[in-house]
Amino acid sequence: MYRYDEFDAEFVHSRVAQFRDQVVRRLDGRLSEAEFRPLRLMNGLYLQLHAYMLRVAVPYGTLRSDQLRMLAHLADKYDKGYGHVTTRQNMQFNWPVLSDVPEMLTDLASVDMHAIQTSGNCIRNVTCDPYAGAAADEIEDPRPMAELIRQWSMLHPEFAFLPRKFKIAVTASSQDRAMIKGHDIGIQVVRNEAGEVGYHIIVGGGLGRTPVIGQTLRAFLPKDDLLPYLEATMRVYNRFGRRDNKYKARIKILVRETGIEDFTRLVEDEFAALDPSDIAVGAAERARIATYFASPAFETGIKPLDMASQPEVFRKWVDTNVVAHAAPGYAIVNISLKDPERAPGDVTTEQMRAVADLADAHSFGELRFTHQQNIVLAHVRQDALRAVWDGLVAADLEDANINLIGDIICCPGMDFCALATARSIPVAQAIAERFEDHDRQQAIGEMQIKISGCINACGHHHVGHIGILGLEKAGVEFYQVTLGGDATQTAAIGDKMGAGFSQEELVDGIERIVDFYVGAREHDERFLDTYRRLGTEAFKEVLYASA
Amino acid sequence: MSTLKHKGKGPQAMTANELVSGLSVWMTTDLNWSRDYADALLTEDETVIEKMDEIAKAAEQANTVVGAYFIDTVDAKPARYRERFRTHGPSYDTADLISES
Ligand code: SF4
Repeated sequence: MYRYDEFDAEFVHSRVAQFRDQVVRRLDGRLSEAEFRPLRLMNGLYLQLHAYMLRVAVPYGTLRSDQLRMLAHLADKYDKGYGHVTTRQNMQFNWPVLSDVPEMLTDLASVDMHAIQTSGNCIRNVTCDPYAGAAADEIEDPRPMAELIRQWSMLHPEFAFLPRKFKIAVTASSQDRAMIKGHDIGIQVVRNEAGEVGYHIIVGGGLGRTPVIGQTLRAFLPKDDLLPYLEATMRVYNRFGRRDNKYKARIKILVRETGIEDFTRLVEDEFAALDPSDIAVGAAERARIATYFASPAFETGIKPLDMASQPEVFRKWVDTNVVAHAAPGYAIVNISLKDPERAPGDVTTEQMRAVADLADAHSFGELRFTHQQNIVLAHVRQDALRAVWDGLVAADLEDANINLIGDIICCPGMDFCALATARSIPVAQAIAERFEDHDRQQAIGEMQIKISGCINACGHHHVGHIGILGLEKAGVEFYQVTLGGDATQTAAIGDKMGAGFSQEELVDGIERIVDFYVGAREHDERFLDTYRRLGTEAFKEVLYASA
Repeated sequence: MSTLKHKGKGPQAMTANELVSGLSVWMTTDLNWSRDYADALLTEDETVIEKMDEIAKAAEQANTVVGAYFIDTVDAKPARYRERFRTHGPSYDTADLISES
């Protein structure tokens, strides 16, 4: 895990001191709201529909157990006893009071945390494969690269006022769990034909009002060139990205309007013209950063659990929530934050502390927030799985639904978000309740339902196998459906169905689609496979068939 | 102050967020602020509306509230869905489950 050096620590502390003073000046009126607003946003503090919201950065989604305990402390002391894991691997608090925020930031700084890069038209907190450093199919841990990008981007003055926000996601696996094709820039660690490790750079992806799948900017970039190449890309975006219309300001629009060939040429020309020695980070510095992410001391000779002697409910949880690890004898544990009665991604302080304890006892004191709004313990001995599960049961965190229909991604929607057009949380709850039976979920198989409360698509509905967008007309909420979206390496934007539904009709319609799929699938086809085989019309007909 | 969000049709109410807590408030009949929409002053009287505007501006200057704006109302309820929603807060909050347990 990355530890702040003295410069990082000094910077974050000075930033907190500045903000403390800014809050004092806001409260006594020396700063107007217009002057203060950009300052609070630079520190992750939004004014939402009912209250302030503080978004805390969790760089590349990785955090230490003491950091999770600190988040629990903040939620208990300054908020309402819970936090919300976001689709960008951060944590939000829904009810902070302005005058407490400097204290919250001070507490965060004491564990190397902050709320920088969680708002504004800057390069946002970099997101990452939550199985980084543990995945069996990984070339190398992508987090040192993500950390390098964090260091380069956090204070870069040229990129503090971009045309629009800018999101980067990284992975080192061929199985894309970071949605790299749905980001402004996606980076995949790859090997070229000569066996060298470098980066595949994807550009111009994004969801929101204009969903676009990213395209290859450079199929193989040598490691030394990473920062100069990103810098060249950002310069092109900064220069040519539109600033006259915020709906056309993201890099995806620039890439689309320029064409990928011409855009690539612009970047390559810029890259050729800049002096990389000012920017490039050599192998020695990369190796230094990588030491922070060195694999923990895995033990050998671990015997797998005798599953036959374990209770069925535990075995089901293992089948669903536990994934193969690169190291023999270890496993990756997914902790679901998708209790059907809760808002997806919400976690209470008791649960946070329980997870922190489990991370200390069984996963080298480290854990991850996922963009699917769950938590991962990345390095668990297989013979400790039962102990972990017992701990999760005690904390009411044993839902066995990872990647199943109950594992719904859902933004806060109208219940909390100032930009929302409709609620999303109650829709997620209604669907989760309808499909609550574990065996039914298991029988349906892999299924990603994603719900957004407005066109901004924070709930990634465009890339849901079933995507749901909440809208409102004349005071009534309704929900539009897309089908066939895909957030992985085979990324696709879902196909829009027709007219929207009320919440009740929607849940019935989804059930019809799911039942149709289960009846029509061949062999072990996933929902997506059957959808692709049978085509949109077949599913559309079922969706709109009256019950 | 933004008054763009209302069409100026029907009785008007004035809303804002408290500076310190961020919570939603509405201007009351005694030209103060309340967190309860039931206390809100609704009026079509242009003179009163002007007065509300002045007081809201002054409250922003005095740093008690931020982002004050008028909303349209119909049958004593905010006309826009979003504004209706603001009057009763989230329909779901994990905080409620915690306080129940
Ligand atoms: S999708 Fe819309 S409603 Fe949901 S969090 Fe994003 S901005 Fe808010």
